[in-house]
Amino acid sequence: MTIWWLGCILGVMGAAAIAFIWVAVRLGSGRPGGKKTDPNYADAAEQEVEHIFSTEFREELRNRGRLHFEKIIGENAMFLQQDLRLTTSQLNDYMKTEITRKLEEEFGKYEQSITDAKQLAVDSIQKTNQAIEEQRQLMSQQLLKVIEAEKIHLTERFEQNMAEIINHYIIAAIGDQIDLSDQLEYILSELEANKQAILEDIQRGA
Amino acid sequence: MAPDQTAGLQVPALITSPSDVSRLHREVIALNEYLKQAALRSPGQAAVKLPKTSRLLDELVIDNKLNLLDATTREHLIGFLADLAEHAPIIHISFATDPSSAFLQKIVLWLRQNINASILVQVGLQPTIAIGCVLRTTNKYFDLSLRRQLTEHSAELIKDLKKADVTA
Repeated sequence: MTIWWLGCILGVMGAAAIAFIWVAVRLGSGRPGGKKTDPNYADAAEQEVEHIFSTEFREELRNRGRLHFEKIIGENAMFLQQDLRLTTSQLNDYMKTEITRKLEEEFGKYEQSITDAKQLAVDSIQKTNQAIEEQRQLMSQQLLKVIEAEKIHLTERFEQNMAEIINHYIIAAIGDQIDLSDQLEYILSELEANKQAILEDIQRGA
Repeated sequence: MAPDQTAGLQVPALITSPSDVSRLHREVIALNEYLKQAALRSPGQAAVKLPKTSRLLDELVIDNKLNLLDATTREHLIGFLADLAEHAPIIHISFATDPSSAFLQKIVLWLRQNINASILVQVGLQPTIAIGCVLRTTNKYFDLSLRRQLTEHSAELIKDLKKADVTA
């Protein structure tokens, strides 16, 4: 639409320029030294022309033409100015609309990119969380197994060395309070219990 | 004193270890030498003062009613102590702490009454024993300590502990 208007305006301006040139050519061609005709008629015509189109008349015509041309030029300039303003306004609107649309598109794309990146990050975090959770469960199971094995191992060791542990505990707890004299009866009973074996070994000798 | 006076000698409970016997042996030899030298002296000289004897020798002499002024008795006693040091059965007993002399005498007395009349004892220390003793003869090792008792009854103890754990 705007281009069509611009074309029309340029066409009008072109037509005005052609008309101006035509008038100028026509006025110029009326000068002496033009086309050669019959000298009598020519002289008569020249005289008539000189009579009709006297210098004042030609000057008047020239002034009129100039004024008309100036008027046309002024009108056309005004139209052109209006059109230019309109075009500029439309162009501004168009540019504004286009820029807005473009910006919206870009913002939309940007927003989409951000959304995609966000989704990607969320997916990645979820996957990482899932992996961590799986790893945690695996480690937890392994740890439980190790703890259970260690517990069993410690229990076995405790059971194997329980006598030593209790003995050590007794020494640490009441070691300095144990009197050998109090143990005499116990030692003698133990000796009595092993009397036969001791006797046999002593009799057997080295 | 008859030559066979030392044949049935009793070893006092005070004499417990081979080192006691060796010490006695050396002491009797020294005494014998001293008395021999004294016998060689001419009569009328200054009176000879006997050397002071140890408590172990006193016990041995009193318990067996020996006369050490008799040279034959001394010779036989020397022979007896040498034979004792060489052939007496020796056992090694370890206790948690150093036993008192009275305590050791009771142990030695029991051993001499029940195992062998001339048995000698070497005493050792094992602080890890806690209660009881560890006895080592020539070929055997007898753990008479509380540790052995605990080890023997560990199954019952574990059962009781598990029962207590379940109850808790």
